Amino acid sequence: MSVFFAALGGTILLASFAIGFGLLLTGIDRRVAARMQARVGPPLLQPFTDVRKLFAKQNIIPANAIPWLFNAMPIIALASSIAILLYLPFGSFAPVLGAFGDVILVLYLLIIPSLALVLGGFASGSPYATVGAQREMVSMIAYELPLAVTVISIAWRLHAAHVAEPFSMLTLMQTPVWDVVGPLGSTALLILLVVMAWVTPGELSKIPFDSPEAETELAGGILAEYSGRNLGLFALAQAVKTVAVAAFGIILLLPWNLSPFLGLTMVAAGIADLVFFALKVLFVVSISVTVVRMMMARFRITQVVGLYWLVLGGLGALAIFLLMADTSYVPGMI
Amino acid sequence: MIGTLTTGFGVWNPLIWLCGIAASLFLSWLIWQCGESDYEGDTEQTAPYLSGNAEPEKGAVHIRAGNMYWGFTAALKPYYERLIPLHSGIVNDYVSWFLIGAVILFVVVILG
Repeated sequence: MSVFFAALGGTILLASFAIGFGLLLTGIDRRVAARMQARVGPPLLQPFTDVRKLFAKQNIIPANAIPWLFNAMPIIALASSIAILLYLPFGSFAPVLGAFGDVILVLYLLIIPSLALVLGGFASGSPYATVGAQREMVSMIAYELPLAVTVISIAWRLHAAHVAEPFSMLTLMQTPVWDVVGPLGSTALLILLVVMAWVTPGELSKIPFDSPEAETELAGGILAEYSGRNLGLFALAQAVKTVAVAAFGIILLLPWNLSPFLGLTMVAAGIADLVFFALKVLFVVSISVTVVRMMMARFRITQVVGLYWLVLGGLGALAIFLLMADTSYVPGMI
Repeated sequence: MIGTLTTGFGVWNPLIWLCGIAASLFLSWLIWQCGESDYEGDTEQTAPYLSGNAEPEKGAVHIRAGNMYWGFTAALKPYYERLIPLHSGIVNDYVSWFLIGAVILFVVVILG
């Protein structure tokens, strides 16, 4: 029974944290992007105001839409984004449901918010939204390959180093894969770090991977027909997913905590590690989302597939070979 | 714990996940309920946005199932151009491919 209460309490706590932090990250992203373009930019809390305003606006359901599906998808997008958080460790805090799901489950759960967006787009009954939904589906298939390669490679390398439960999220956080590899393995992990840095904006449909929304050609594409509280809920889902995706990347490749270096214990260690984790999330979002979107234009959907499957898929394969070579070079080193 | 599935490496409990997603759905629904629900039906508001253009006949703008993965197939066109002709529909060809695959796997397993 305690697990059920943990799920309930964890959901409320993590949802509050991720919605607040995710919207703040959006505010920081917009402010930093503005400063990079020599503009002042909006206040940091502007995304909170935007969402509040959306909830006060009319919630239009298009004539061609399938109303129940159109309304249900924003709710499912937010709920599934929150559910991911229940399986992720934050700093030195263990996942709420860590004993009941592993990294493969998280890999699958990351698909659900995007699927909700796709179904919502198709349910809109609008040509722009339909094209956007089709692009989102192709994008999903594209970035799943390098993401899966990264996750499996890291878990396999931990297993080869005789680390117990290599697919557990807690193991990934507590046993940095960098500690078990030699020079070849470090090179492979650097490659996987680059791969994850490119998967992150794809997962979040940010420039240069924003072809499903494509403001300039599809007028918002997948979200073109959404307004009011439905659009507000999609904004909240995006904020939560931003935290989840960045946290996932950190757990895989940048998992270190601050407390062991500072010699902190108990509550002080928990707080220090949580703050450090939040700073790492901010760093990942700043690099993978803000800087990248300021430097690049939107890829065509065919270029997205080519980049993820051929370039990053190829880099992933190279990383696997290097990790295999590393295993024979430093067997079981830990 | 009831319902926990283990693969030898990984673990998943669908029942616990259902509890988590149910709590998340309820919370999301509560947030959704806080928003405005009204709109003016049967007005210009509900017409699909098409940059001011008139809405074409519905069958003309819907994406067919065969085009669902366009972008994917277009990007990997050189691969599909080679692969599609191999699907000749002749059983002898498929058995030959199966045998070639089995031989390669056999060699890999023996060498491995």
